[in-house]
Amino acid sequence: MQEIVKSVGIDIGTSTTQLVFSRLVVENLAGSYAVPRVSIVQKEVVYRSNIYFTPLLSATEIDAEAVKKIVWEEYKAAGMTPHDLKTGAVIITGETARKQNANQVLEALSDLAGDFVVATAGPDLESVLSARGAGADRISEEERKTVANIDVGGGTSNIALYQKGILKGVSCLDIGGRLIQVKNGKISYIFSKIQALAKKHGIDIQVGQQADIPTLTRVCEFMADQLAQALFLKPQDAEHRGLYTNDGTSIPSEPPVQGVTFSGGVADYIYNPTTEDVFRYGDIGVLLGRAIRSHPAFGQIELYQAAETIRATVVGAGTHTTEVSGSTITYAADRLPIKNVPILKVSEEDEAVLETLSASIINQMPLYRPEGRTEQIAIAFTGRGRTSFADIQMLAEAVIKGAKEAIESPFPLVLVIENDIGKVLGNAIRVKLEHKKDVICIDGIRTLSGDYIDIGEPLANGHVVPVVIKTLIFNS
Amino acid sequence: MDQKDLKAIIEQVLAEMNISGAAAETAASAAQAACCAGSAPVVEDGCIPDVTEVNIRTQYLVKNPEHGEEYAELKANAPCRLGIGKAGARYKTDPMLQFRAAHSAAQDAVFNDVDHDFVEKQMGLFIVQTQCENKDVYLTRPDLGRKLSPEAVATLKEKCKKSPTVQIYVADGLSSAAVAANVADLLPAIMQGLQSYRIDVGTPFFVKFGRVGVMDEISELLGAEVTCTLIGERPGLITAESMSAYIAYKATVGMPEARRTVVSNIHKNGTIPAEAGAHIAEIIKIMLEKKASGTDLKL
Repeated sequence: MQEIVKSVGIDIGTSTTQLVFSRLVVENLAGSYAVPRVSIVQKEVVYRSNIYFTPLLSATEIDAEAVKKIVWEEYKAAGMTPHDLKTGAVIITGETARKQNANQVLEALSDLAGDFVVATAGPDLESVLSARGAGADRISEEERKTVANIDVGGGTSNIALYQKGILKGVSCLDIGGRLIQVKNGKISYIFSKIQALAKKHGIDIQVGQQADIPTLTRVCEFMADQLAQALFLKPQDAEHRGLYTNDGTSIPSEPPVQGVTFSGGVADYIYNPTTEDVFRYGDIGVLLGRAIRSHPAFGQIELYQAAETIRATVVGAGTHTTEVSGSTITYAADRLPIKNVPILKVSEEDEAVLETLSASIINQMPLYRPEGRTEQIAIAFTGRGRTSFADIQMLAEAVIKGAKEAIESPFPLVLVIENDIGKVLGNAIRVKLEHKKDVICIDGIRTLSGDYIDIGEPLANGHVVPVVIKTLIFNS
Repeated sequence: MDQKDLKAIIEQVLAEMNISGAAAETAASAAQAACCAGSAPVVEDGCIPDVTEVNIRTQYLVKNPEHGEEYAELKANAPCRLGIGKAGARYKTDPMLQFRAAHSAAQDAVFNDVDHDFVEKQMGLFIVQTQCENKDVYLTRPDLGRKLSPEAVATLKEKCKKSPTVQIYVADGLSSAAVAANVADLLPAIMQGLQSYRIDVGTPFFVKFGRVGVMDEISELLGAEVTCTLIGERPGLITAESMSAYIAYKATVGMPEARRTVVSNIHKNGTIPAEAGAHIAEIIKIMLEKKASGTDLKL
C-alpha cells in the first residue's frame, strides 16, 4: 500500500530564488505478518520553477514581498495550493542567510508554504542538501567511492564529502561566482575576502576598475585553487583557513577524495566551459567555472556529472529534508503537527548511566527557558543498549525524573530516540504518568544538540510520522 | 591396459612421490609410536573458541577475492551463509561447525521442554496441558495439540477471569528456546501497552504442548473478545528463538485460519520483544475497535 506525500522546497539563495514541488512515495515494506517497516521508497521532482534573481531591497535586506509574489506565482503555475502540501522546507542559503530580515522573509512565506512547511538555514545543512540534490551521495554509494560535491553558488561554495554513501563531513567557503560583480565593463562589487586573496597574490583589484578578463581569470584561478585545497588535493596555504564561512573548518582529510560532482549556478560552466560573453550574468561565475575545470588538481580525480546543477539545493530541500520515523512509535494524534521544537540532547556519555541521564535533562532545561517560561522542547537520546522490558521501565523512570519541568508544562512530552524502542518506552511513560500527560515518543531519528525538529501528522495508516530535522547552527 | 602396466604406473608414481614401501611403513609406525608413547594425556588450559559466538554477517572467508570488501559489505545486510570459502569441494571447518551448531540448537528447541520453574516462578504463569501426553505424541499428533486436556479445562474454568476483553497466554509451540528468550520482555510489554490503552486483560497462563489452534478452544471456554497466543516458532538455522503472536477476534473452533492476525519474527535480532509487545497491544486495540481480525482487518 503506497501513500503519496507532496512536498515543496523553496531556496532563497545569494543570487537565485527557486522552488520545486516533489512527490515522496511512502510504503510499508514489511510483509503483512511482520511488524511494519515504513520507508520513503521514491522521490520525484514533479515541478521545477523558473530561476529568479533573489530580489533584494539593499545589500543587507531581502525584498520579502517580491519573494512572496514569486512563490505565489509559481504555486499558481504548478496548480498547487498550500493545502496540498504535507511537508517541505524553505531555506535561506549562503550570504542571504546573513541578511538582516531573513526571519521576516520566512514568516512572510509561512502561510504560503502549507501547514507543515518550515524554515531552515545554515551552511552545514545547505552542503548536505546540495550534495544530495546533485546525487553525490548516490554516486558514492553505487561506485563505492569517496565523492565530494562542491556547490559553487553566488556567495559561497558548500562542500559535502560522502564515502560509500555515508556523509563524512561538510564545509563552506567564501568562494562564489558573484563575489566580484561587473557592470558596464567595470568592476562594481568585490567581496573583501576575495580582494584580500587577490592582493596576497600581488593582484590589486578595486571597485570601479575596468573588468579585465585576464586579470579576473587569474583571480578565479586562485579561487579554484582554494577549492582544490579544501578537498586536500593540494597542501593548504596560509590564506586557506580564513576563507571558511563564519570561521568554519575544513572537511576531514581522510578518506581521500576520489571523485567530485559540481552543483550550484557556476557548475554549468564547470561542466561546459565557455569563453564567450563571460560577463553575461554581470559577475565572474563563467570565469570561475572555467578556472575550476582547467585547474590541474581537479584533473587528478574523477569528474562525475551531477544529477542537478543550479537546482541541486532546492531539489535537495524539496526531496531530502523529510524522513519518516520508525514504524512502532507513540504519539497523541491531536497534538500533531508540532513545528520548530528545539532538541535537548542527552550526550551518549550521560545516557550511559540513568542518574546522569536525568541530571543532564535537568541541567539543560534552563537553556530552553528564554523568557523565564518553559518552551516546548524535544528530549533526544540514542536509547542504545536498553532493550529489555525491565531496562525500559528504569529508563522511563529516569526520563520522568529528569523531565519533571517539561511534564508540568502545558506542552506534550516529546522524546526523539534513535533505537527502536519508541512505542514500548512511550507506553511505559504514559502508564507511569497515569495517562495524565500526552506523550509523543518517536524512534529511528538521529539528532544533534542544537537541532530543531518538526513532526508532522501521521502517515501510512498512522504507523509513522514525517520528520524534518533542522540544523540551524553555523559550522557546528 | 593390463594389470601389469597399471602396477608399473603406480610404482612409478609412488617412486616419484618419494614414498617407497619401506618409507611408508616407517611413517606409519612412527605415527603409532607417537600416539601410544606418551604417558598420561596432557590437559591444556584454555578453551576452543565457541563457534556459535561468530557473527556470520561479518565473517567472510573467501581467499584472494576479486571484490572482497564489497562482498563483505553486502554480507553485513543479512545473516546468510555466503562468502564462507571452500576447502576443495567441501565446506571449511568453521562454517561446517557453525552449521551443525545451528542445526543442533534448532533440534534442542523443538525437543526440549520449557523449564517449569521459569514459567511458574519467574513468569508467574500456571501451566495447563493439551491432550498430548508427551513430546512424541505432540510432534506426531498435531490434532491433539489443538485440544485441551479435561484437567486443563477444569483448571482454566477455576483460575481464569471469565469473559475478559483480552485473553493472553503463552504456548511452547515448536520452540521452548523462544519462550525462554522472549516471554519475560514480550508479555509485560503487551500488558503495559493494554494498560496504557486502558483495556481489560484476563489471567495469563502457559499451555504445554500447545499448537496455534488451541486458542480457539480457549477463546470459547473463557469467552474472551480477543485471544492472543505467544508461541515458539518452528526454529530455523538463523535463530531457534523466534516467537510469533497469533491474535484473533472472537476465535471459535473450526474458524478459517485467515481470521488470525500474526506478528512473527520476534527475537533479539528481529523485532525486539519489548517493542513487539507494544506493537501487539496496539493491534489488539485496533481489533477491538474494528471488531475483526486476520484478513478482515486492514492494519
